[in-house]
Amino acid sequence: MAIAAARRGGGRRRSGGSRLLLYGLVALVVLWLVGPFVWLFITSVSYQRNLMARPLSLIPPEVTLENYRMVLGLVRFHAEGQAAKILPSMWNTTVVAAVVTAVNLVLGTTAGYAYARFRFPLRTVSLFALLFTRMLPTIVLIPAFFVIFRALGLQNTLTGLVVAYCSFTLPFTVWIMKAYFETVPGDLDKSALVDGCNRLQAYYKVVLPVSGPGLVAGGAFTFMLCWNEFVVAQVLNTKPGTTTLPPVIAGMNGQINIDYSVIAASGFLGALPAVLLVLIFQKYMVQGLTAGSVKG
Amino acid sequence: MAKSGAGGLRLSEAGFAWLLVLPVVVAIGLVVAVPLVYSLWLSFTDVNLLRAGGPALEAFGVRLPLYRWVGLKNYLQTFDDPLYWSSLWRTLYFVGAFVAEATLAGLGMALVLNERFAGRPLMRSLLLIPWSLSRIVVGLLWIGLLDFEFGALNGILHRLGLIDSYVAFFKDGFTSLNVLVSVYMWNQAPFATLLFLAGMQSIGEDLYAAAEVDGAGYWQRFTHVTLPALRPILFLVLVLCTVNGFLMLDLIYILTMGGPGYDTTTISWLGFQTTFKFFKFGPGSAILYTLTALCLLLTLVYHRLVLRGFEAEA
Repeated sequence: MAIAAARRGGGRRRSGGSRLLLYGLVALVVLWLVGPFVWLFITSVSYQRNLMARPLSLIPPEVTLENYRMVLGLVRFHAEGQAAKILPSMWNTTVVAAVVTAVNLVLGTTAGYAYARFRFPLRTVSLFALLFTRMLPTIVLIPAFFVIFRALGLQNTLTGLVVAYCSFTLPFTVWIMKAYFETVPGDLDKSALVDGCNRLQAYYKVVLPVSGPGLVAGGAFTFMLCWNEFVVAQVLNTKPGTTTLPPVIAGMNGQINIDYSVIAASGFLGALPAVLLVLIFQKYMVQGLTAGSVKG
Repeated sequence: MAKSGAGGLRLSEAGFAWLLVLPVVVAIGLVVAVPLVYSLWLSFTDVNLLRAGGPALEAFGVRLPLYRWVGLKNYLQTFDDPLYWSSLWRTLYFVGAFVAEATLAGLGMALVLNERFAGRPLMRSLLLIPWSLSRIVVGLLWIGLLDFEFGALNGILHRLGLIDSYVAFFKDGFTSLNVLVSVYMWNQAPFATLLFLAGMQSIGEDLYAAAEVDGAGYWQRFTHVTLPALRPILFLVLVLCTVNGFLMLDLIYILTMGGPGYDTTTISWLGFQTTFKFFKFGPGSAILYTLTALCLLLTLVYHRLVLRGFEAEA
C-alpha cells in the first residue's frame, strides 16, 4: 500500500473529480463481486412469493428463517425427503475434504520440498508431468474411475472420492508447496545439517515448523477444491446418502416442486464453509497461489 | 540417528530427494496415470458395462474388464458426427469470449484495486468470494438473478423502466451461451485480478516517477509502463483462462444442460453426456481424449512461458 501511495506522485493529493471517479469505480467493483452473493442470502431469508412479487423489492418485506428450517429438517414440508439429504451430504463432504487435505499436506509438502531444494535425475521430466497433470481435464479420468471403482467395489464410497480427488489436488499442492519452499532460505537447512541433523531431520524439525503459511495456503486451497467439486461426485456416487453437497444442491435445483428460496438456503449454507475458510486464510492463500502460478 | 546423520540415512542428495518425491510419484501414477491410460484404452473399445465376460486384466483378485478392441472406430464415429464439430466451434467461441471477458475484467478490476483508497485491504477479501464458491452455487445464485419469473435483474430493470416485459435469458441459444460466458467470468476473473495485482505491485516505483517527469498521463503510464511489465502475467492469465474455458462443465449442468437444443453444448459437455447419460463409454472417452490433446498442447505453451519465460525474467 505504501508503494501505491508513493506511486501517485509522492503523496500528491488527487483532484476531487478523480477521487469521485475512483470511489465510483470501487463501489461498482464491490457491487459486482459481492452483490450476487448477498442477493443469494436475501433470497434465502425471503418467502418465494416476495421474490415473485412485482414490482420487486430489493429489501425483503418479510424476513424468515423458514427456508433454513426446511433445509435442516426442523419442519415438515412436501419436499422434505430432498432437503433431508443436505446435512448428511455436508458431513460426507467434510470427511472427504478433510482426508484429501491431510493426504495432500503429507505427500505434497514432502515432494514440494524436494523439488524446491534438490537437483536429481528426472527432476525436469517429472515436473513437466506434474504440470501436465495440473492442466489435465479431470473429466477424462472419470470413465476409467467409473469402471475401475466398480471392479474394486469403491463405487458409492467416500474412499473412492478421496482417491479420485487426489488426482486433481496433489499436483496443485506439490506446485504450491514447491513455490513456498523456494521462499524459505536454504541456509536454514544447511545450518541444521551443520548442527548435526540428518537431511530428514533438517526437513521436519527445522524447515517444516517455519512453513506454517505455506501449509495453510496449500491446505485451505485443497479443502476448498474438494468442498466445491461437483462432476466427480455426481457421476461416481449416485447411491442416495453417499454423495457430497454440490450434487445434492444441483439435484434440488432440478425439482420443480421446491421453491427457489429453499434451494438458495441450502446453497448459502453449503457455500459458507468454503467462503469463511478462504476469507480467514486469504492472506496466505493469495501469497501461495500467486507464487505457485507465477513462479512455476 | 543422532550425530551427523551417519548412523541413519546415508544417502546421496539425489537419493534423498527421490525418497521424498517417490510417494507423490507413486500416488499420481495410481490416481492419474493408470486411469489416464485406461481411459485411452476404453476409447478404442466397445464398452458394454452390462457384459461380465470377455477379456480382462486380473491381478490381486481384481478383475478389470478390457472389452472388445474396435480400433479407431470411436474416433472415426466422433469425427463423422456433425454435432461434434458444431460443439467444437461452440467451444472455441466460448473459450475465446471467456478469455477476452475474464482477462479484460480481471485487468480492469486490478487497475481499480491498485489505486489508493479507504478500505483497500478489505477488497482483497471480497475479491476471493466469487472465486471460492462452488460452481453449483455460482450457477444457483445467477439463476436467482436471471430467472424469468423470480430473477432480481428482471425485477430491477423493470423497475427502472428499462424493459417493458421480462427477458428470458435462457430461451435463446446464443444468449444462453453468452450468459454462461459471463457467469463463468464472474467466477474466474477475480483470480486473474489477483495475478495482475501481484504483477503491478512488483513494478518499480521509479518507472512511474520517470514517466510522470516525462509528462505521461494515466493512459500513457498504463500503455508504456504497466502493460509491458505485466506481459508475462498477461500470457499466464491467457493460458490459464483458455484451459479453464475448455474444461468448464459444471456451470452448463446447473444453468443450461447444454440447451436449448444443443446451443450450449461444448466438447466437454458432449463428452460428459455421451459417457454418463447415454453410457457410451467408448465414444465418450474418445471425445474427452480429443479435449485432453488440446490441453496437452496448451501445457506445452504454459511450460515454455512459465519455466523458461519467468526464469529469464527473474
